[in-house]
Amino acid sequence: MIEILRLSLPMTVWLTGFSVIYALQGFSCSRHWPVDIDARTVLIGVSALGLFIQVLILLVVLYAPSTSRFVQSTATTLATAAVVAAAWTMMPVLAASVCP
Amino acid sequence: MTSQPNPVTPPQQKGTALRLHRALARIWGSDPRLRGWLTTNNNNDIGTLFLIVATTFFVIGGILAMLIRAQLATPNSAFMEPEVYNQIFTMHGTVMMFLFAIPFFEAMSMLLLPGMLGTRDLAFPRLGAYGLWVYIFGGSAVIIAMLMGLAPDGGWFMYPPLSSAAFSPGIGADVWLLGITSIEVSAIATAIEVIVTVMRYRAAGMSLSRMPIFAWYILIVSVMILTAFPPMILGSLLLEVERAFGWPFFQVENGGDPLLWQHLFWLFGHPEVYIIFLPAAGMIATILPVMARTTLLGYGWVVAAAVSLAVLSFGLWVHHMFTTGIPHMGLAFFSAASTLVAVPTSIMLFSWIGTLWKGRARMELPMLWIMGFFATFVIGGLTGVMLAVVPFNWQVHDTHFVVAHLHYVLIGGYVFPMVAAIYYFQPLLTGRTRFFKLGEMAFWLVVPSFHVTFLAVHMAGLLGQRRRTWTYDAGQGWEALNLVASVAAFVMAIGFALIILDVAVNAFAAARGRRNPWNASTLEWSAAIPSPAYGFASIPIVRGRYPLHDDPDLALRIARGEGYLADTSRNRRETLIVSTARGEPAQVAVLPGNSILPFLLAVVTSTSFLAPLFDAYLVAGLALLGVVALALVWAWGLGSRVDEGLIDAGHGAILPLASEGPDPPGWWGSLFLLLADGVHFGSLLFGYAFLWTVAPNWPPPSYLQPDVWAVMLALAGAAALAAGPRLAVRAIGLDRAAWPAIAIGIFGAMALAAAAATVMLDRPDPAGHAYDATLWLLAGHVGFHAALTAIMLGYLVARVAAGYASPARIGEARIVALWADFTAATGLVALAAAWLPGASG
Repeated sequence: MIEILRLSLPMTVWLTGFSVIYALQGFSCSRHWPVDIDARTVLIGVSALGLFIQVLILLVVLYAPSTSRFVQSTATTLATAAVVAAAWTMMPVLAASVCP
Repeated sequence: MTSQPNPVTPPQQKGTALRLHRALARIWGSDPRLRGWLTTNNNNDIGTLFLIVATTFFVIGGILAMLIRAQLATPNSAFMEPEVYNQIFTMHGTVMMFLFAIPFFEAMSMLLLPGMLGTRDLAFPRLGAYGLWVYIFGGSAVIIAMLMGLAPDGGWFMYPPLSSAAFSPGIGADVWLLGITSIEVSAIATAIEVIVTVMRYRAAGMSLSRMPIFAWYILIVSVMILTAFPPMILGSLLLEVERAFGWPFFQVENGGDPLLWQHLFWLFGHPEVYIIFLPAAGMIATILPVMARTTLLGYGWVVAAAVSLAVLSFGLWVHHMFTTGIPHMGLAFFSAASTLVAVPTSIMLFSWIGTLWKGRARMELPMLWIMGFFATFVIGGLTGVMLAVVPFNWQVHDTHFVVAHLHYVLIGGYVFPMVAAIYYFQPLLTGRTRFFKLGEMAFWLVVPSFHVTFLAVHMAGLLGQRRRTWTYDAGQGWEALNLVASVAAFVMAIGFALIILDVAVNAFAAARGRRNPWNASTLEWSAAIPSPAYGFASIPIVRGRYPLHDDPDLALRIARGEGYLADTSRNRRETLIVSTARGEPAQVAVLPGNSILPFLLAVVTSTSFLAPLFDAYLVAGLALLGVVALALVWAWGLGSRVDEGLIDAGHGAILPLASEGPDPPGWWGSLFLLLADGVHFGSLLFGYAFLWTVAPNWPPPSYLQPDVWAVMLALAGAAALAAGPRLAVRAIGLDRAAWPAIAIGIFGAMALAAAAATVMLDRPDPAGHAYDATLWLLAGHVGFHAALTAIMLGYLVARVAAGYASPARIGEARIVALWADFTAATGLVALAAAWLPGASG
């Protein structure tokens, strides 16, 4: 089960982060968002935190390797892919307007 | 029923091997009469029935497609009335997506997975049979409703308010909602069975890195089913409750929002596309290397790509909603995620192209269909990238361009590889070698005519033709395109009819074939053809990813009984359970025999789903009680009253029975069922948060104020519910009386249910505002699970009293404890969510 988690965790964390950021963006455009907080700053902060967590997971995968060579190489690929995905899906936070 | 195989044992071993075969055939066989079909739970029989029924639905869906094309062939056509046209296109999408695509690959999985993995059957054979019958009853209800003119007509995604009671009166939409939900229950049952099988039921030595690539794909897809279907089930529940009782989840004037349906639907709907594509990709990755006489290039990369694609597919749902007024940043999120999907898909494609490159491909019929896949799916993928670009999406939204894109992806990416799979596995499934060569002709009819049809449909869409519109006026430049598309579509239909004819004729009339005609390397080809009910005379031992190439004598040694569990003296259905990662022999599973219970349970389950169509709520309630009663009877027949201790499984392996370990297969099954349940609950919380955040008519007139006694009751109940079953597990482990601990658990469940009831009593009108309706659903979730857990705890008392538990046999208590933990945790979260807005003012 640990090996299955090792394979599934990196991308699942990306999906969680992606959903949280999207939810936060939706929330920031709603009536509940406190007006004195800049939404973009919060979104950038949360996205950067997400990216940091993905890098952390990659480091854990690299420095606490599995005994199975196949699981280790596949988990490394997936953790790297999750870092790239987190960086790529962070772009809209930097480039697009929050609530037009 | 399951055909008898041709043993291929050498003469000196023939006597022993035949005795083993006969003993196994007796133990695993089914009654060949009609009763046998109703009681069988063997994967070969269930898979065959699934395959036949799914193909029948494919034919029905195809006929509906031809009716659509006949209507659209000429402008201002009076071939059918608009009301009929609406029903036809709705049913075409529904039948193809729900009744054909998913059950068809499930059928292939049931037929092939045990052989590929080196096990004798799937983990929960009766669950598989139950899934089959629920699917047959639910699917038949939808089709019968159509034949009676009561079909849904709101499109296969049933958007409210069009599908609401005001705009879709009658029972058409209800048939869709209830029928499809029952089919989703069937899919979830099968997914759980497949996951546990792939993770634990394999040949000795089959580590994760040695698993057949198809098993990886099906494992991933099954997890996707558990996480994608619950939002859809929740959406269907909300819409049905709104239609039946007026709870206004999607009515703007009462605090609802129709966009909530779109979110729930596409949370399911987009992953659904990948749920359909990935098994086909698994088939390609299985067949292509054999046809190219080599091994799959980049096995690990393909596994990683499949995992990535599966997860990414859950981050794309909003790209179906680009025209709903979502803020620019939201659009950009989903546009970025959508383009990202091209990366893992390309890795798979390049892996397959590389495999072809390094091998020497033979252009047999399965390979032709895979070539058809390449040509078609790449075009579908590219138009998918086009649709991920927001400005382009806005232009072509709801046009025939989208229709053409999804047919390129689904027919090119699913149907063509599945036809390849049918031809590839035909010798294995039927024991016959293809003789009548209609398949080649069919290929050359289907693939070119498919492209003519849907390239024309693409063009019509680009020129502005709207989808789901009954007819069109002449003079818009669409006439020739539609006529060409329709003529080519009929040619394609003739091609598909030839395929079905070809497969049927060859299955019954062709000559007996030899084993492993393709020289494949995976275990399913080591068994006799067609595969006997028990699959393997003994459980194989594998030492590499390509067992039949690594060890050319493996098939013979399996047949001679030189693997694990070749001893039939215990006279029961046994197979091996291995450790998940390394594939080391860990336990012996005893599988249940044939039974009518799955059929009966499916009858009452389907009745509980379908009775509300006729406002027969009493019948539905009674059927629900029948479900509980039969499920208890089913479970009661499992397990043992005595400890057997360790069993000699062969090769020096002395293993415990699975039922005498801490994590029996039922515990694993419960774990994954609770994953689906958790996603369902998460979707409910999402819906609540969505309405609270963006629904126009919020806040409601007042929020629920938390009552301190109710809060205390909930906390005490959850604590008792979590603690009681744990203490019971401990007591059983120490051979002490467990009933006091179980009583604590039952008290906890009742307290939690009472706390939930206070929410309902405080807000007595769920039809007044979406907020109240949501509170009732949250409280209903808690009450339902508390009642379920209380029943399970009561059942545990009876099982302990009857001697079904012992310090060695604590698995059942651990299963109940797992459910109790889930109920306690989600109960607290649900009640906290209900009380939070009021508490925060």
